[in-house]
Amino acid sequence: MLTWGVVFAIALGVYGQRALGMAVVDPDRLTDRWRSVLGFMPLAILSAVAALQTFSRGGELTADARVFGVGAAIVCASRRMPMFVTVLVGAAATAAARALA
Amino acid sequence: MPEGTQLTRGEAWTIAFTYFTVAITVSVVHSTAGTEPWVIVGATLIVNSATATLAFAAVQASGGTAVAGVASGWLVSTRFGVMAAALGPRLWPQRWKRALAAFGAFDPNVALAMREEDDSDATRVYVAMSLWLVLPWWVGAIVGVILGEQLGDPQALGLDSMFPTLFVAIIWPQLTSKTAVSITLTGIVIALALVEPTPGGVPVLLAAVAALLALIEPRRATSDEEPHGC
Repeated sequence: MLTWGVVFAIALGVYGQRALGMAVVDPDRLTDRWRSVLGFMPLAILSAVAALQTFSRGGELTADARVFGVGAAIVCASRRMPMFVTVLVGAAATAAARALA
Repeated sequence: MPEGTQLTRGEAWTIAFTYFTVAITVSVVHSTAGTEPWVIVGATLIVNSATATLAFAAVQASGGTAVAGVASGWLVSTRFGVMAAALGPRLWPQRWKRALAAFGAFDPNVALAMREEDDSDATRVYVAMSLWLVLPWWVGAIVGVILGEQLGDPQALGLDSMFPTLFVAIIWPQLTSKTAVSITLTGIVIALALVEPTPGGVPVLLAAVAALLALIEPRRATSDEEPHGC
């Protein structure tokens, strides 16, 4: 759940990095490899978050109806369907698995 | 539409539609997680990044502290700095103008501006696309909040799977290289291995280490391999 304080704290870091990149950093001083690490950082974080939201609840590993939803979402995403379709199908698959269980 | 640039009307509309639907989806997810409507709309405007606020909300939902959530929000935004650094020198010489323009640095507007051969065309495309994205982004956020308020029991509707499915939709198009796939798998393994032994939020922050795999990448990263998102 977001609060105003949290929103401003996140905004500070996000804008800070944008401004640093655009107005301060000399791009020639950033090597390709470190640029690549920074570029891949979101992927590492988002993968971790997605895995935790699929296979854990309240700090414990578990597998429930959400696994079906995420499986359906992977099928949609690999077929290049739009994001909102992917999310809707994922929610529907989760709800169906839960209703049938 | 800036005249004489490579930007086409079709591209501009496609991106606007995409941002509109993404903003709706993200707003609905925040809404079902219990965030107040005005905070969602405000966050869309002030943070100007969906992944940052989503990462925060998801970390908090899996038991992380607010500090861990904010740190995750910052870490998923590193790519903005990298993209901005690539475009910055091609925009105005004045730093204050660049610092101002930095607020709107998203993936599509930077990518479309970089495509221009002439620096002044790049600047015009960047400014035009930055302003163009604002409208669908905010209107979508408001529509999403209204929709989210109408939804009933989140569990029965399967809405608790919306965070991970949304992340799947963001991650999948980025898995275009072996490095990207190995970073993703390593991030997942680190997070799941640490979820029980460490406090909430720690698994996500430590999973960031997986990005270091890019250092042992055999060849030089090309722009095609740079991740995309919102």
